[in-house]
Amino acid sequence: MSTNDSEERSGLLHTILPPNQVDRLFDVCSAHAWKLLLVGVVVGALPPLVGLEQGYLMTVVTEMYLFAILALSWDIIGGQTGYPSFGNMAFFGIGAYTTAILVKDFAVGFPTAMVVAGLVAVVFAIIIGVVVLRLRGHYFAIATLGVLLAAQQVSRNLDITGGASGKILFDVPEGTVFYYLFFGVLVAEVALVYYLSNTRFGFVLNAIRDDEEKATAMGFNTTYYKVVAWMLSALFTGLAGGAFSLFNTFLNPQTAYNGAWNVELIAMALMGGSGTVAGPVIGAFGLHTIIELVESWFVGWQLVVLGSAIIVTVISFPDGVVGTLREYASGMAYYERGGMAATDSDDAEVAADE
Amino acid sequence: MSESTDATALDTDSDRAVLRTDGVTKRFGGLTAVDDVDVEVHEGEIVGLIGPNGAGKSTLFNCITGTLHADEGRVYLQGQDVTDWPEYKIARAGLGRMFQETRVFGNMSVRKNLLLAAQEGGADVGKLLRRPDDSLLERTNELLEYVDLGGLADTQAGRLSFGQQKLIEFSMALMAEPELLLMDEPAGGINPSMLENLIDYIRTANEDEEATIFLIEHNMDFVMEIADRIYVLAHGERIAAGTPEEIQNDQRVLDAYLGRE
Repeated sequence: MSTNDSEERSGLLHTILPPNQVDRLFDVCSAHAWKLLLVGVVVGALPPLVGLEQGYLMTVVTEMYLFAILALSWDIIGGQTGYPSFGNMAFFGIGAYTTAILVKDFAVGFPTAMVVAGLVAVVFAIIIGVVVLRLRGHYFAIATLGVLLAAQQVSRNLDITGGASGKILFDVPEGTVFYYLFFGVLVAEVALVYYLSNTRFGFVLNAIRDDEEKATAMGFNTTYYKVVAWMLSALFTGLAGGAFSLFNTFLNPQTAYNGAWNVELIAMALMGGSGTVAGPVIGAFGLHTIIELVESWFVGWQLVVLGSAIIVTVISFPDGVVGTLREYASGMAYYERGGMAATDSDDAEVAADE
Repeated sequence: MSESTDATALDTDSDRAVLRTDGVTKRFGGLTAVDDVDVEVHEGEIVGLIGPNGAGKSTLFNCITGTLHADEGRVYLQGQDVTDWPEYKIARAGLGRMFQETRVFGNMSVRKNLLLAAQEGGADVGKLLRRPDDSLLERTNELLEYVDLGGLADTQAGRLSFGQQKLIEFSMALMAEPELLLMDEPAGGINPSMLENLIDYIRTANEDEEATIFLIEHNMDFVMEIADRIYVLAHGERIAAGTPEEIQNDQRVLDAYLGRE
């Protein structure tokens, strides 16, 4: 990084976008987070009121909310707690089938069915979580992928789920209902995750991500916290799935337990900035927009774009949009805030280099 | 036996024992890492644990904290048998621990590291779901000022230098107000000027915060200066116990360190 070229470029960047300005922006955002959320609610609620018609565009925006829910839910366990789940779509499928079966076969009202969908996903999460959350890293990722594949196979084999041909749903509510439904769930989830991120419960999750053994040695029963995080993740994913089956009017094992979506929502969380509140939401909005554009302009290439986007993100911006910006803003903070305090004369050398 | 009369006198006084191990034995396959070890740490003491590399010091610590479970023998924390308790529960019961390799939560801010360490409210979910209150924030600031790292409260802990992380880990341990603090080589890898500070910090913690301390140390000057009593392990066995002066003049200890059987 010591070539003149890169120094000049970063110098230019520092002039156009001074780190301390970015830092101030972060301060303002965190100081007024609830107000920002309120603004977001108003902005998100307006479009249908001021003339967004049902149709393609509304569907796309609704899907953006859906993916934001899924990405943020993944991030609770994957980003905040450090357990990269490749099986979150299992909760989605379970939620989706729950509403589909309840509404179609048992004539249960949609709102009730959706609540049940969320709860069924949570119960499933507890049972699975107690087993798979004992694993870490790659092993956890593979085990959760196994759960997703197994769940998909079960729905293919059962009669009640309609087997491989799936279920078609009639008499579904209109598009505006789903627009507000997904939006409402997203807002509730953002508010909850933001609130938790400032409590010691949220700190424990981050501690598990950074060093689980140390967290245990400090007196935290990490299994308990991991299961709770996993349940929260399942709750919102299950709710989203519960609404999705009727939104989509059709459900089969392939759409309900969609492995590609699972990769997509992880990519969204990573691109936006995992372990942050806004990151996964920004990532979902951004990546879904890109995917939609590619889908309409270069049909059939969306997975190629998705794959490339993931590779570029992981290599160049492993912290995502929000994480990279935060890093940029606080790059010098260590030195500015007394990093070379007299307590540690080792740092004198670093100081001389700067 | 070279065990001093002084140590025996203290041994009888087990009412005040914050920590007592009774014949703790830990085997790994055919190797006996810790062999029938008795130690006692009394309230307000600073007790050292020394011994050559591979003597079983860290394994004994792991048996006390519950990271490992002893094959034989019992561990008592304030008179309570905690031998079979899970690690987190032993920690909750008032056992703090600092690791040999210095462990802080690198991606969290220094302040969050300390807030997390506070045991206030314990595992009570209601407390955990509230924002940290002012008294907790105040104590965090006080401790950070005390170790001269006040300015770094909002910096990611992983960015700090090794020595600073060591101080953060120490502050985290104090935040928890433990009955007993186990320190695994606190003086390892820090420079001499900071070592002086560390001795002060540990003394102050011991005197003002009433923390009882049990520490493993290789730096002999450090441990002789700070410890009230010292236990010596070699090949998993406790070969000596006594005051620093007694240990320094103990033939078995000298033999163990020089490699003579």
